Amino acid sequence: MLRFILSRIGMAVPTVLLVAVVVFFLIRLVPGDPAALLLGDMASPESVAALRSDLGLDKNILTQFAIWLTNVFQGDLGTSITTKEPVAHLVIERFKVSAGIVLVAVALASLAAVPAGFIAALRQNSKLDLTLVSIAALLLSIPTFWLGLVILLIFGLKLGWLPVVGYVSVAEDPSRGLLYVLMPILTLFLHEIGVLLRMARASALEVLRLDYITHARAKGLPERTVLWRHVFPNAFAPTLTLIGLVLGNMLGGIAVVETVFTIPGLGRLLVDAIFGRDYPVIQGCLLFIAVIYVLVNLIVDLCYPLFDPRVKIT
Amino acid sequence: MNRRQRLAASAAALALTLTCGPAAAETLKIALNADIRSLDPGVNRDANSDAVVLHMVEGLVAYSEDASVKPLLAKEVAVSDDDLTYTFTLRDGVKFHNGNVLTAADVVWNWSRYMDEATKWRCRNDFAEGGAAHVISVTAPDDQTVVFKLEKPNALFQATLARTDCGMTGILDKSSFNADGSFNVPVGTGPFRYKEWRKGEFIDLEAFADYAVRSEEKRDGYTGAKRPLVEAVRFAVIPDRSSAKAALLNGDIDIVPDVPYADVEEFKQNADTAVSLATNPGIVALLLQTRDPLLKDMRIRKAIAMALDTKTMVEGITLGLGKANNSLIPPTSQYHSAAQAQGYSYDPEAAKALLQEAGYNGQPIKLIANTRYSNTYDAAIVAQAMLQQVGITAELEVLEWAAQLDRYQSSNYTAMVFPYSGRYDPALTMDSVMGNKDKEPRKVWDDPDAQAMLADAVRYSDPAKRQELFDKLHARFLETVPFIMLYNGLEASAYQKHVQNYAASIFSMPRAWEVTIAE
Repeated sequence: MLRFILSRIGMAVPTVLLVAVVVFFLIRLVPGDPAALLLGDMASPESVAALRSDLGLDKNILTQFAIWLTNVFQGDLGTSITTKEPVAHLVIERFKVSAGIVLVAVALASLAAVPAGFIAALRQNSKLDLTLVSIAALLLSIPTFWLGLVILLIFGLKLGWLPVVGYVSVAEDPSRGLLYVLMPILTLFLHEIGVLLRMARASALEVLRLDYITHARAKGLPERTVLWRHVFPNAFAPTLTLIGLVLGNMLGGIAVVETVFTIPGLGRLLVDAIFGRDYPVIQGCLLFIAVIYVLVNLIVDLCYPLFDPRVKIT
Repeated sequence: MNRRQRLAASAAALALTLTCGPAAAETLKIALNADIRSLDPGVNRDANSDAVVLHMVEGLVAYSEDASVKPLLAKEVAVSDDDLTYTFTLRDGVKFHNGNVLTAADVVWNWSRYMDEATKWRCRNDFAEGGAAHVISVTAPDDQTVVFKLEKPNALFQATLARTDCGMTGILDKSSFNADGSFNVPVGTGPFRYKEWRKGEFIDLEAFADYAVRSEEKRDGYTGAKRPLVEAVRFAVIPDRSSAKAALLNGDIDIVPDVPYADVEEFKQNADTAVSLATNPGIVALLLQTRDPLLKDMRIRKAIAMALDTKTMVEGITLGLGKANNSLIPPTSQYHSAAQAQGYSYDPEAAKALLQEAGYNGQPIKLIANTRYSNTYDAAIVAQAMLQQVGITAELEVLEWAAQLDRYQSSNYTAMVFPYSGRYDPALTMDSVMGNKDKEPRKVWDDPDAQAMLADAVRYSDPAKRQELFDKLHARFLETVPFIMLYNGLEASAYQKHVQNYAASIFSMPRAWEVTIAE
């Protein structure tokens, strides 16, 4: 087990390194100069040049990369060009905000979508199935920014139940904090339900068609046992992979939802950094996101044997 | 408390927060479309940072509503006959937020900090050796008097001190800094003092009870009456425009300083909200590359100017709220004379004839625009259509703002619609577009004769003499068409009707002083 974990982490190192290289050079290929952006339209070339040299941007790009990578290995992600804050601190603080919302939304969506998907599969082609599949397709097709704005319009404006803008940390003031994250959670929940329900339904249908299910039924096992012992565990495995992917994806920032609901999360940090060409923050965010992705998928892989005994971790 | 009671209590707390909203009624809540960069005046700043910081710090002089410079911390300013010595007499009893009394020594100390290269003050180069307003000495003969000596006369000395992007050269108490000399938080003399900044969320300020009020009765730009009449101000960071709108309609926010023109009518019709409009000196222009093989021909540039019906264009893109202005001097300025009101003559037929004479036969002209500043994008779309009418093929190239700024700085374009941020003295605005392209590629008006006139407008402080120079410059601008001036920035601010005495201004930055909240 430990060896598996260590070897997986070992395998992730080249991935993360590759991300580091690509991110570093790609963002510098994009036109736009952080110093010029910081100083604005009326900056003189001298002041731009002075700021560039201050920021170390006048150095050879390979030298810049070497400096950055050395610092990263020492645990220093640098400081933000725009706010002068340490990037590691920024990323962690913003991640905590996004992660709380995403974890709750994905957990709720999984709890709702997986059983619903299985039920739809069992009642394939029934009215219930059709209804569930249609709802899933609809939710899946609605872009999150629009869904978010509609939810904001209904609960914030028309009903006036929830505050439209602002953010209070749940850790600081649980009851008020909750008010501010309800709408973003609902938005993500609705969106992810669509994805997960379809996956759960499709996997269950596939398993239901397999020979061993027919065999289990033929040997006279009660339907309950067939479902619980044979269908669900086998059908859940692919959905689990998808949950892992969704989680990895969303933990990397839910920029759109964060922007609509003014949540100071990781996604907004990254988007703002890209617009401001804040290289250290972009690099730090993306590196962090890559690591999170690897970790989430590792955890999912470790959970696999719980549902699918065919998978053994050695 | 048993479980049921606890539940009931938290439900009650929930209901309370729902009905009352998060803050007390005496907090004025203003939306900001992005977080600020720092609280250090004139250092690592942008317009939002200036807007917040200038509630806390004040300088010796400040811009008034018509963009002239008037005293703020100073009671009066005396200028010597040779225009080289400026004597500022400080007002009595001005206090910093920590209770210290402002003295001339503070001004001298702040000046040396600003002029220290390590401070990275945005405006240092303007006052340093080689700068337009080189200050050779600053002294404090007594507690209430500060004397600035210049190397050579400069009509813009005070106008530069007062610049909002210079942080108004704000005077800070020494307690604003950490023991190692680094900046901590502003302890200034402004009507509000610093309370808390939560990055990405909000900046909270509170009223400064001991604010030294000026004798004027009315608010006047960044000077005049500046009483803090609300207990607290919260600048809330709301990047999404729809969310800001919803927050205003919902009552979570009192003021949104910049709403889209398309929403203005709705906010006017709404029983709970009102709108305030103000033209700022920022210019939106169609820049033409005068070194382009095609556009270096003045006849083609003139034809472009004649092809554009800027009046209709601006009415269209501002939905009738704004007016075209073909002068670099905004209509709100004291220098916007009748001569400045002269614009390009819209004449498609003459444009066609001129194009034919110049031998233009449909060569495409790339026109760059961005969607960050959506009105400038609209202007590019309309310009493209109008140019089409006279047979000019304009191809639109939409770039992200940072990429466009890059192309602007390096002069790597044929044509682009570009928004300039505002400068309050016409000479400063002109200085930002005029210059030698070999030395500064970003400059768009490279004309030695015009440059000489501008130098005089900087040299002389006599308004009549300056007016004459500005009028001559405008005539030359229309005649040689180095680029095409379309209109000035227009800011539409929406606010709750219970907010009293709020107004948008030429500064395009929200101001919380002299504003009250009705019960």
